[in-house]
Amino acid sequence: MSDFGFHLAFWALAAMTLGGASMILISRNLIHAVIWLVMSMLGIAGLYLTLSADFIAVVQVLIYVGAISVLMLFAIMLTPRAERDNSQTKISAPAGLVVLLVMIATMWVAVDTDWGPVRDGALTEQARLIGESLIKHYILPFEIGAVLLTAALVGAIALARQDDEDGPVHAASLQAELDGETSIDPADVIDPPLASEPSDGGTTS
Amino acid sequence: MSGLSGFSSVLGAWYDFRDLNNLQRLITEWIAEWGPDWIASIVTGVLGALAVLGVIGPTLLILIWVERKVIARFQQRYGPNRVGPKGLLQPVADAVKLILKEQLAPRSADKLLFFLPPVLIFVPGILIWGVLPFGPRMSVADLNVGVLFLLAVSGTAVLVLFMAGWSSNNKYALFGAMRAVAMSISYEVPMVLALLTLVVFSGTMSVNGIVEWQQQEDVIFILLFPLSAVAFFFAASAELNRTPADISEAESEIVAGYHTEYSGMRFGLFYAVELGNTLVVSGFIATFFLGGWWLWGLDQWVPSWIILLAKTGAVYFLLIWTRGTLPRLRVDQLMGFCWKALVPATLLFVVVAFVERTLLISEGWDTTVALPIMAVFNIALTLGAIMLFARVSRPAALRRPARIRMAGAEIGGLRAARQIASRTEEPQFQVGGD
Repeated sequence: MSDFGFHLAFWALAAMTLGGASMILISRNLIHAVIWLVMSMLGIAGLYLTLSADFIAVVQVLIYVGAISVLMLFAIMLTPRAERDNSQTKISAPAGLVVLLVMIATMWVAVDTDWGPVRDGALTEQARLIGESLIKHYILPFEIGAVLLTAALVGAIALARQDDEDGPVHAASLQAELDGETSIDPADVIDPPLASEPSDGGTTS
Repeated sequence: MSGLSGFSSVLGAWYDFRDLNNLQRLITEWIAEWGPDWIASIVTGVLGALAVLGVIGPTLLILIWVERKVIARFQQRYGPNRVGPKGLLQPVADAVKLILKEQLAPRSADKLLFFLPPVLIFVPGILIWGVLPFGPRMSVADLNVGVLFLLAVSGTAVLVLFMAGWSSNNKYALFGAMRAVAMSISYEVPMVLALLTLVVFSGTMSVNGIVEWQQQEDVIFILLFPLSAVAFFFAASAELNRTPADISEAESEIVAGYHTEYSGMRFGLFYAVELGNTLVVSGFIATFFLGGWWLWGLDQWVPSWIILLAKTGAVYFLLIWTRGTLPRLRVDQLMGFCWKALVPATLLFVVVAFVERTLLISEGWDTTVALPIMAVFNIALTLGAIMLFARVSRPAALRRPARIRMAGAEIGGLRAARQIASRTEEPQFQVGGD
């Protein structure tokens, strides 16, 4: 790998990452901020590539650019008035403190670690290595992560399926839409057994 | 490469048109003699991109004509037949018209984000071509993680669609964008799972590696994992916004979806990228499930890229066929089909692939005996799954009159249906709750 191309790539990608990151702070519009965040993420993916970590780079694009940012956009769209306003709020100070602490911790680890230089040359097959180390050495954190994600998934579904304010009948028909037509017995929808429904179904908010 | 042993005398010469990589390799070798190797890398990249663009550009113009003609035939019309012989110049006339058209932008649109999407949408559309192998050594970039690269790059296109829909400041555009995003993240799951079966079974994530595995084992993946092929086909047609699943630009519901406000060539760019994506996805379906550039030894006599193009054309015709035949699904039907049918089925086949791979590798089963047995088993399992789905989903259509939405009492047609049912001995419709 020649020095010139490598340096060019590194500085261009670093500028892209940091420029995107600072534009997140500057832009008043939250949607714009997410787009800048995507640019920053792409820069980080490129930096991974310069470190010969092709698998991590592609996964970075797949997860952060393709999924996380889209989820962020969804969250912004579903939050009233959020898309217009990126201004100061009451929690600015504590949020800044938390960010500062995280930054200090990250810098500490980065400075403290004994980094080895990356070998030049062709990209090796890293997915296999990562998979083997996940299954052999880091099996416990891997399993904990899996359980945590499953719990989050179940929790999200439980939150999303709370009964509606319109009462049990409406909730039942909504339920029918969620379940699809196959699993709902039509009798439940037509003659809702009102007594059997929980009476506090409509007071969740 | 065993596929190129037919005429070994001309192997590697620049005029050996069975492997178009030869020419490019000679150029890079010539540059490497006098220049630094980063010039060689840049020239390689530019040549690859030019080759890809040179394939796509003219092909798109022909494909527009082919698609309109074929769709017309399905609908018993003639299709374009005025401009040029057999209407062949119609796409050119369309392109000229689109370029000459005035380009309007809504006054309340977000200026930068409105301008960017027609340009940005090209980036994933072109990048995907990079990992498509046209021959044993004929892919622009034969990445170790080619399959993941394909998924990652195609996933970023959603963001661009969202930008287009949001910045238009138009509710139909926003609806279209939200639908596109929801559909895309849903259908990415069965797509990933369908490809995961292949990756697990062949043990490689390189696209070319998957083709070479099929060549080595003398089998194409559609025989081994037919359900993955079907799921990938449908998920891909959903990601492409093609008609059985084009709810994000359903013209009868939300004008034109995310590109409602785009006029002139800006719309044309969206249209072109959509067609190009259709072509490249056909190529990937042909590569993953139909053996790509390999065809039981025919690739020794016919250039491999012609074989791939023929298979791509066949898959493309299938995509047009589904578009011309199937009606559009409703948005909840589409999502339900993804999460309730495709995801469990593809997940099942991931497990099947794991088990069969273990039998082949750890238990050391003979592939020549085991693979046909596995193929038969998997085909039977696929047919069983499809029949189960048909059986489970059938009563829903029959029960439809019994469903009440947003209402607490029997109203309208349902009451009438019950009265009819109570009068006759054998009710024609099965009405629930009786």
